[in-house]
Amino acid sequence: MKATLEVINQMQVEGIIGQYAIGGAVGATFYVEPAATLDIDVFVTLKDTPGSTLLSLAPVYDYLTSRGYKTDREYVVIEGWPVQFHPPADALEEEALQQAVETEVEGIHTRVITAEHLVAMALKTSRAKDFARILQFVECGILNPDKLDLILTRHGLLEKWEQFGVKFLRGGE
Amino acid sequence: MSDWMRRVLESKRAARGRLRALSFSEKLKLLEKLRERSLAIAQTSLRRRAGKTR
Repeated sequence: MKATLEVINQMQVEGIIGQYAIGGAVGATFYVEPAATLDIDVFVTLKDTPGSTLLSLAPVYDYLTSRGYKTDREYVVIEGWPVQFHPPADALEEEALQQAVETEVEGIHTRVITAEHLVAMALKTSRAKDFARILQFVECGILNPDKLDLILTRHGLLEKWEQFGVKFLRGGE
Repeated sequence: MSDWMRRVLESKRAARGRLRALSFSEKLKLLEKLRERSLAIAQTSLRRRAGKTR
């Protein structure tokens, strides 16, 4: 993982990507106990492609494949770890990327999406594994309720949160 | 709930707390081990055979 992050940091130094932050199960591991995952989700800002209104991951793939890293479906395998790069798909992901927290892995600088944003993003995606992850966050009591409330309100997720509470939290209280 | 089950749950909660308290670097090393195990299990012949019957 350390070597993977070093490559991603180098991409940032060389201007291939802008700001980045780790999300998904690896991001969640920053806050809660580790849960098995096969890949790394990296949220990343990209440079605009001249003449196009679409953001393209092509420079990222070109950079990595020219250095011998293989692609595997939507992933690029960097130093043994499949990495999926996500340009922010909506305002929530944009905000999550901007407000990510700084940390280090074995002396390597990196950024991780905040716990509250990870919960909001999981709630938005709403797969079974997302609900399990939200429960992990709730059970360990590390969420800032005011911050989470603001995020859920800002991004229209309060109703979903209410439904999640009815289904998974109230019965166990 | 029986005493035995209560002890099991308390022990699980304590183990999760210990894991949570590890540094990010230590947790990522555990993730790497978990991933290696998952991949090894996925490559066993039993698992491959089970996949074919689905």
